[in-house]
Amino acid sequence: MKKITLTRAVNEALREEMQRDPNVYIQGIGLRAVAPNSLTGGLHDEFGSQRVRTAPMDEPLIAGSCVGAALAGMRPVAELHLADFAFCALDEIISKAGKWRYMHGANNGMMLPIVFMQTIGGYVGGAAEHSQSPVGFYMHAPGLKIVVPTTPYDAKGLMKSAIRDDNPVLFFTHKLLGGTEGEVPEDDYLVPFGKAEVRRAGNDVTVVATSYMVSLALNAAQSLAEEDVSVEVIDPRTLEPLDLDTIVQSVRRTGRLVVVDEDTMRCGVGAEIGFQVMERCFSDMKSPVLRVGNPDLPVPYSPVLEKAVLPSSSKIQAAILRTLNPS
Amino acid sequence: MKPSTEQMLGLYKMMVRSRAFEEMVAEQVQKGHVPCSWMSGIGQEGTMAALCQLRSDDHMTYTHRGAYSFISRGSEPSRLLAELFGKSTGYCKGKGGRHIADLEHGVMGKSGAIGSHAPIAVGMATAIQIRGGDQVVISLFGDGTSNRGTTHSALNTSALWKLPIVWICENNGYAGAIPSADFTTFKAASDMAAAYGIPGISIDGNDPLTVYAVAGEAITRARKGAGPTLIELKTYRVGAFAIGAKDLRDPEEIMAWKQRDPIERLRRQLLEMDLLSEQLIASIDQEARIEMDSAVRFAEESPFPNPEDAYQDLYA
Ligand SMILES: Cc1ncc(C[n+]2csc(CCOP(=O)(O)OP(=O)(O)O)c2C)c(N)n1
Repeated sequence: MKKITLTRAVNEALREEMQRDPNVYIQGIGLRAVAPNSLTGGLHDEFGSQRVRTAPMDEPLIAGSCVGAALAGMRPVAELHLADFAFCALDEIISKAGKWRYMHGANNGMMLPIVFMQTIGGYVGGAAEHSQSPVGFYMHAPGLKIVVPTTPYDAKGLMKSAIRDDNPVLFFTHKLLGGTEGEVPEDDYLVPFGKAEVRRAGNDVTVVATSYMVSLALNAAQSLAEEDVSVEVIDPRTLEPLDLDTIVQSVRRTGRLVVVDEDTMRCGVGAEIGFQVMERCFSDMKSPVLRVGNPDLPVPYSPVLEKAVLPSSSKIQAAILRTLNPS
Repeated sequence: MKPSTEQMLGLYKMMVRSRAFEEMVAEQVQKGHVPCSWMSGIGQEGTMAALCQLRSDDHMTYTHRGAYSFISRGSEPSRLLAELFGKSTGYCKGKGGRHIADLEHGVMGKSGAIGSHAPIAVGMATAIQIRGGDQVVISLFGDGTSNRGTTHSALNTSALWKLPIVWICENNGYAGAIPSADFTTFKAASDMAAAYGIPGISIDGNDPLTVYAVAGEAITRARKGAGPTLIELKTYRVGAFAIGAKDLRDPEEIMAWKQRDPIERLRRQLLEMDLLSEQLIASIDQEARIEMDSAVRFAEESPFPNPEDAYQDLYA
């Protein structure tokens, strides 16, 4: 085992997969000149400009050409940088990558092994167009797998699984998680999709949190432990496929659920997971499912306003307490 | 680049088969057997003179118009029609309709949003470049589609990366009911090439032998690694935008273009060269009709998919 950052873990996964499989290549804006400690640092020097392609500043081209390359037998990785910018390539991601195989009836075993890397997250004074976390937005679209890693171990193993997957995968790294340190094995390993991880065991309330929200939820759980409230925190790790069983098992025990996601709540991750749990656990529920998330506003700039809109540990604590004392 | 006798005859037969397929589909649409709209390619078969030069390991992206691109690559009319009927024996098992994929013949699928093919062609060519092969990509787009950002994106990147792509703009003068001149200041689509520093040429798309020669040079250039070319084929769709749609164009203009039919043109030339006889012409027509009749039987007799098949094929 060695201790590395989450960014480094993703970087190692990319490097090792490129070494393993000549069909893997990566393209994105500025890749020839990225910082050594960034997600794609050092890759250009090691693999050259054919396999680490510095693309024009043109997201539809970057994402759409991945679809063509995948059809031609490659395993492209698109580094799209901020999720806010990836919106420029929605036709390519949602309608081309996500639906191509299905629309063509999987003709001759057609596959689209593509990884779309996106960085998400607020809390950095980025305002409305440099702060988005539209993970739930993509959950709405069929045909896309969705990865939201929270630890270096998971990030590396999930990125390897993403590259080896024969389907399009969206890989979301949070701005505030890049520096998170953690243990990672020296040897090759994979983290499978569709398996949630219980980050903290508890009996009173289940909290499902995504990406950076997991650390906020763990802080909230820690504080509430001092008040004798026992909180279970579940990190789904992938939202498509979603490990609903792990969540359902927990809620059957606790009877209470809070879902925390950084994005706007309407039609979001919380709405979806909350509803699916309600469909399966209605009679086990002791209180209504609650959501913590952005109250359907663009993320504002001023720290005071940003704090008002984005989730925090104290907002999560308040929601947990409300499930215990529903009025 | 001049085609051999065999290649010219092969091209002629292919064009006749494509026309026969289109006429048969038009009939089936009118009978109500095709639950989607069909944008007939009649009149634009000159493009086949470029596509017929692709090797089986080359790639192509195609537009919403016509069936000539599939027929050029070797797709079977029976399975094409079965797909249009929504039958389980269609190339996409009834999930795609006119969005056809036939990987075995190098038909990689169709984007419903037109113009999104251009970046896909860039990706196919990128794959070729990374692997170091000498395959090429032909990417078709209409004059209306030339205005999409993705078309310009892809031209830019293909020029920058010297990708092995032959861009073919099939300029039929209209996008829907609107003449091309109403949505761009480019005089010829090939002028776009100048903006990206690649060779661009505008030619008569209804003259198959000229198309063959010009496309052949562009393909050779791409195979050698010398980069992309943009060819504009000036052509015309003889029918309305889609079968059954109202045609607002000047009937005299339509008549004038009918006189310039690419199949008739090639036929005349081949007759002059003594490569065709009236008898051979009749037997080629006859063969195409028989093939299309059997395609109709195949499509009619094929079963529809089961409702539960809707749940399959999302993920590999
Ligand atoms: C992105 C997108 N916008 C609009 C349409 C609807 N549409 C289909 S064909 C067409 C006109 C295309 O014109 P052109 O490229 O000149 O081809 P033509 O039909 O003339 O052959 C339009 C607007 C579409 N399919 N995709």
